[in-house]
Amino acid sequence: MSAPNDIALRIGPISPAASGALYQQIVNGFKREIGEGRLPGGTPLPSFRLLAEQLLVSIITVRRAYEELEREGIIYRRQGLGTFVATDGRRRARESKRRDAEDLVRSAVQEATGSGLSPGQVRAFVSRIAGEAISEQGACKTPSKSAA
Amino acid sequence: MQNAIEIRGLTASFPRFRLGPLDLTVPRGAMYGLVGPNGAGKTTMLDLIFGLGSRDAGEIRVLGLDHREDEVAVKRVTAYVSPHNSYASWRQVGRAIRFVSGFYPEWDHSYCDELLRRWGIWKDDEIATLSLGKVMKLGAILALARRPQVLIMDEPMMTLDAISKQELFSELLALMSDGEHTVLVSSHNLADLERFADHIGVISEGTLLLEGATDQLLENYRQVSCTLAGELPAGACRVHRDGDKVRALTDSIGGFVQALKDYGATELTVRPVTLEELFVALVE
Repeated sequence: MSAPNDIALRIGPISPAASGALYQQIVNGFKREIGEGRLPGGTPLPSFRLLAEQLLVSIITVRRAYEELEREGIIYRRQGLGTFVATDGRRRARESKRRDAEDLVRSAVQEATGSGLSPGQVRAFVSRIAGEAISEQGACKTPSKSAA
Repeated sequence: MQNAIEIRGLTASFPRFRLGPLDLTVPRGAMYGLVGPNGAGKTTMLDLIFGLGSRDAGEIRVLGLDHREDEVAVKRVTAYVSPHNSYASWRQVGRAIRFVSGFYPEWDHSYCDELLRRWGIWKDDEIATLSLGKVMKLGAILALARRPQVLIMDEPMMTLDAISKQELFSELLALMSDGEHTVLVSSHNLADLERFADHIGVISEGTLLLEGATDQLLENYRQVSCTLAGELPAGACRVHRDGDKVRALTDSIGGFVQALKDYGATELTVRPVTLEELFVALVE
C-alpha cells in the first residue's frame, strides 16, 4: 500500500505567514487528520522528500515534524519500509491535542488574570467564551460521520 | 564532516564597495539560503567563489579545494547559475547544450532531455526569444544535467512563477536526496527562503550578520510587545518605542521577558518571528 496522494493537500497549506513554526504547522495538521480518524492506524505516510516537495518546505522541516510525531507515538518509522500511522495513533493524537488545548486554556487564563479580572470573573469569562465557541462550531459543522 | 563551502576572512575592494571581512560556512548536503539587501555583496561573493573578480585577502574553499590553487577542480564540482549568464551567443538551445555538455563527461543526456520536455523548452528554440523564466530554466538545466556536487544559484526564483518555483524546488530536492549534494541559493524573497532553505546566512554591507539552521535561528528570537513607561531592561537586540508602547526583538527570551515583568510592563505579548521580520530588524 502506498501513501494516499492527497496527504499534502489535507495537511497544507503551510505558510510562514500563519502562526507557529512551519514544522509545528505540519505536526498540527497530522494530529488533526489522525485525531479525526481520516488517517487510520497503519496508513503509510509520504517520504520526507515527497512531502517536502508537495508542501514546498525543506526536508529538515518535514523530518522535524515526523520526529515530533514519532516521539509522541502518533506515527512510527520502520527502517527501509517508511513511516506509518501508529495503531493507536488516533488515541494518542487526541490526547496530544488535549494537552495542547490545556496549555492554550492555561495561557488564556493567565492573560485574563493579567487583564485584571478576579478569579470568579475569569471562570465566568472562560465558560462564556467556551459556550459561544462551541455553539458557533455546532452551527458550521456538517452533520457528519466523525462521531466516534 | 567536510563543509561544502568555507569562506574565511574574505575581503575585496571596489571603487564604491568593500566586501568583508566575510566568513561563511555552507554545510555539505544543505539547502543554504543567502539573504541580503540590494548591494550587500551577495553576487560579489558568489562571483569570487568562481574566480570572477579578485580578492584582496582571505580564503575560499569548496569541498576542501582552494578556489585559486585548485580552480579547475573547483569548477568541475560546482555549477553557477546567474541571471547575468547570457546564453544568447549560442543562438539555439541545442547548440548551447552540445557546447556545455562537451566539457562534462558526467553529463546526463536523458535527464537533460526530460527537463527540457517537462519545462517546455525545445532544442531548436532561439535563445534570444525565450522568456526570462525560460532562460532561467535553461540555465538550471545546463547546471542540473551535470549533477554538480555544489550548485550555486543567484536569484533563481526572481523570474519564476509559483508553479515553476515548485518544479525547480523539486529538482533541487532530487539532486540533494543523497545528502551529499549542496545547493546555495541567494534571494530577496524571504518567505521563499524560510520555506525552502534549511540553513540561512544574512549578509549586509559586505559582512555576515547571522548564520545557522533556519528553524534554530528563528527559535532564538522573539518579538515582544508591551506597555512600559520607564526605561527598558537589557536584553533587546532592536527596540521601537512610541511613547510607552514598546516593540522589541530579543534573543534572550526568558530573561528579557521576566525582566520586563519586573520593570512593571503590562499588555505583554511574546510571539515568534518570521525570517522577514528578523531580517528587517537586523538590517535596518
